[in-house]
Amino acid sequence: MNRIYEELFIVKPDAPEEEVDQFVEQLQTQLKTSGATVDKVEKWGKRKLAYRVDKYREGSYVLLQVTAAPEMVKELERRLRVSDLVLKFLTVRIDETLKRLEKRKKERDKRAAKRAERAPVTAPAQPSLAQQMTEAPGVPGMPKEG
Amino acid sequence: MAETRGGRPVSASQRPTGGDKAVATQKKQYFRRKKVCRFCVEKIDDINYKDVKMLHAFVAERGKIVPRRISGVCAPHQRRLMDAIKKARNIALLPFAASY
Repeated sequence: MNRIYEELFIVKPDAPEEEVDQFVEQLQTQLKTSGATVDKVEKWGKRKLAYRVDKYREGSYVLLQVTAAPEMVKELERRLRVSDLVLKFLTVRIDETLKRLEKRKKERDKRAAKRAERAPVTAPAQPSLAQQMTEAPGVPGMPKEG
Repeated sequence: MAETRGGRPVSASQRPTGGDKAVATQKKQYFRRKKVCRFCVEKIDDINYKDVKMLHAFVAERGKIVPRRISGVCAPHQRRLMDAIKKARNIALLPFAASY
């Protein structure tokens, strides 16, 4: 069964841009050929690291969101480990988290709808509240720090 | 006290939410502001390790996780927060130990 993973890795800051792009591209094609789907590729650009890693004080972050089987992720991790470009990587399985969030959101929406029903006097104010509920817990993206 | 243990919590003040310090004790008459869990109040379901700005608020100057007796975060959220902070540390988004 395929699971959703998030792979965040740090690339050396002095690596040329094209090389990084090529490397990421390579990872993607490898994943696709093994049967995984790449849902999202995000490059955060250069960020200061919180501590020194291999004598580097900064690094560029790349985030991949993949739907894959465990063996594919194992292969991906092996590739990241072998690569000279990558300083550090972190794999997080997020499908269960996403499911949980979805459930929570549904409950929230239901409760909001109920509240709207119970108080029809203040009807014009309610739709906006319901809208807020659906909009607020969005998909977690990049850190807001920039 | 003894009769309520094990059963359902009778009143809100008995629920182990933590930070119910607003209840003034009979002897000492000082008053502390009631702490509330930020995640419950703002209805943040997702405590994500990538949200560095948010996590920074729950990390002390030296990089330690702020205990919930100080921050007022409820237990379930503190647990998720801890997970997020530890993940963020692992990928160098947050320090293990910050230097001055």
